[in-house]
Amino acid sequence: MALTITCPICGKRNGYEFRYGGEEKGPRPDEKDLTPESWCDYVHMNRCVAGVQQEWWFHRDGCGSWFTIFRDTTTNLEKETPEAKE
Amino acid sequence: MFSKSKPMWGKKTKLKSSYDVVLIGGGLHSLATAYYLAKEHGITDVAIIEKNYIGYGGAGRNTAIVRANQRTQYNVPLYKEALDLWPVLTKELDYNLMFNNCGNLNLMHSEAAMNAARMTIATAQFHGVESHLIDAKEAKELVPALNISEDITFPIHGAMFHPPGGVVRHDAVVWGLAKGASKLGVEIHQQTEATGINTKNGKVTAVVTDKGVINTKQVLISAGGYSAALIHGFLGIKLPISVLTIQAMVTQPLKPILNHVVSSGAYHCYANQTLKGEIATGAHMDQWPNYTTLNTAHYIKHQAEALSEFLPALRGVRFMRIWGGLADMTPDMAPIMDGNEQVEGFFMDCGWGYFGFKSCSAVGRHMASFMATNTCPDILKPFALKRYQEHKLMGETAALVSYTPDN
Ligand SMILES: Cc1cc2nc3c(=O)[nH]c(=O)nc-3n(C[C@H](O)[C@H](O)[C@H](O)COP(=O)(O)OP(=O)(O)OC[C@H]3O[C@@H](n4cnc5c(N)ncnc54)[C@H](O)[C@@H]3O)c2cc1C
Ligand SMILES: [Zn+2]
Repeated sequence: MALTITCPICGKRNGYEFRYGGEEKGPRPDEKDLTPESWCDYVHMNRCVAGVQQEWWFHRDGCGSWFTIFRDTTTNLEKETPEAKE
Repeated sequence: MFSKSKPMWGKKTKLKSSYDVVLIGGGLHSLATAYYLAKEHGITDVAIIEKNYIGYGGAGRNTAIVRANQRTQYNVPLYKEALDLWPVLTKELDYNLMFNNCGNLNLMHSEAAMNAARMTIATAQFHGVESHLIDAKEAKELVPALNISEDITFPIHGAMFHPPGGVVRHDAVVWGLAKGASKLGVEIHQQTEATGINTKNGKVTAVVTDKGVINTKQVLISAGGYSAALIHGFLGIKLPISVLTIQAMVTQPLKPILNHVVSSGAYHCYANQTLKGEIATGAHMDQWPNYTTLNTAHYIKHQAEALSEFLPALRGVRFMRIWGGLADMTPDMAPIMDGNEQVEGFFMDCGWGYFGFKSCSAVGRHMASFMATNTCPDILKPFALKRYQEHKLMGETAALVSYTPDN
């Protein structure tokens, strides 16, 4: 099964042109009141969803954009929205 | 497989409404934990809950390589114990696990890699694990099929040779442990999916399954690559894990040409010859998290290219079977074993990536002791989840140059 990723600049391209950038975790936590726990949570922790997740990609062998998409981790298919089913 | 006939490991029993201990996942880690709970602690009111069939996960998909030449002082003793256990378990279980200690040859493709190997070897030797640094010519003497010429993509500078490692028949370990555990009273429930864990006042009270609720005070999640999603789904605990498909394949059978397990980090490729003559070979993991367990043309091509460079005799040989499984990777390439920390009575044993076969026996033994006594054995203490918060990552990977799901 081929993975394709839609770059906001270049459009739908072969997935191997991109580097996976991790699960979308919201904004980087504020330096103020930062605890080892909240920093660790942001840096390391994942939900590992078996289903649709929002995630970051970097168009490494292309325009260099960073962007998020929704993808079903059980099929490797891109989805329009988080709720999208088959 | 699920017919009325009796399973090969023992009697089929009805799922009860309560057990002393419930283990989620019918892979090697649960089976080994159950076996040692019964054998060494007399805890036999134990149920293994398996969604599909035992050995469905990594347990039945791995490339069966065992070794004890890891990088850090925390990991080496654990893997050494596991390696030493194969002959013991073969006897104890009265089951031929087909341990073939043919030795592992880990190829080094630069002087920097040779230096890194020196350190790993020193650690191994310090812990009483046999491991040597050899040069390219010595490697060629051990494996005449090796291409040590300089005009390949990653010329071979030498190798780390670890004679006591090798391969073990993975299915036999699944069956042997299932039989051994079942004989001591452990129940194995296939076609039963865990769907939740109930807690009350911070303590485990029950495991919810599609066949009913099971009351229990202790539960272990050791469901291989599925663990992280289950642990987050059931208890909201996030883990520093990325789940990636890892692919493997075997060639047509050949006359004996490979006496050792040969692996190469630079080529992202390892291979050994099975007793049937096939070359069994594994690739690197997919570059993005996924649960597909599908093979891709990308890796079949990669594997063929890598093998035909450093083992050129394999050029033109055909792949006969291909398959994939899951690897749950952590940032420090070391597993997470913890218990009674996030929730009382909840234990986890996961993050085993592509190295959870070789460790299963020793880990099962220590997890059993952990659960039976509610005291974490010293050898498991460094593997607690807290280490990421405390920034005590294990260093099984030399340097995190770029932090990626597969490192
Ligand atoms: C291609 C490949 C090659 C590998 N090569 C090696 C190697 O050479 N050496 C090595 O040491 N390791 C290797 N590994 C890693 C090793 O196989 C795994 O780390 C190990 O098998 C995982 O532990 P396990 O056996 O306990 O779990 P698994 O066998 O993965 O068991 C998990 C089980 O949990 C079940 N499950 C999932 N969800 C639920 C649920 N909700 N309820 C109940 N049950 C559930 C699944 O059906 C599955 O049977 C390899 C892995 C792969 C995929
Ligand atoms: Zn682009």
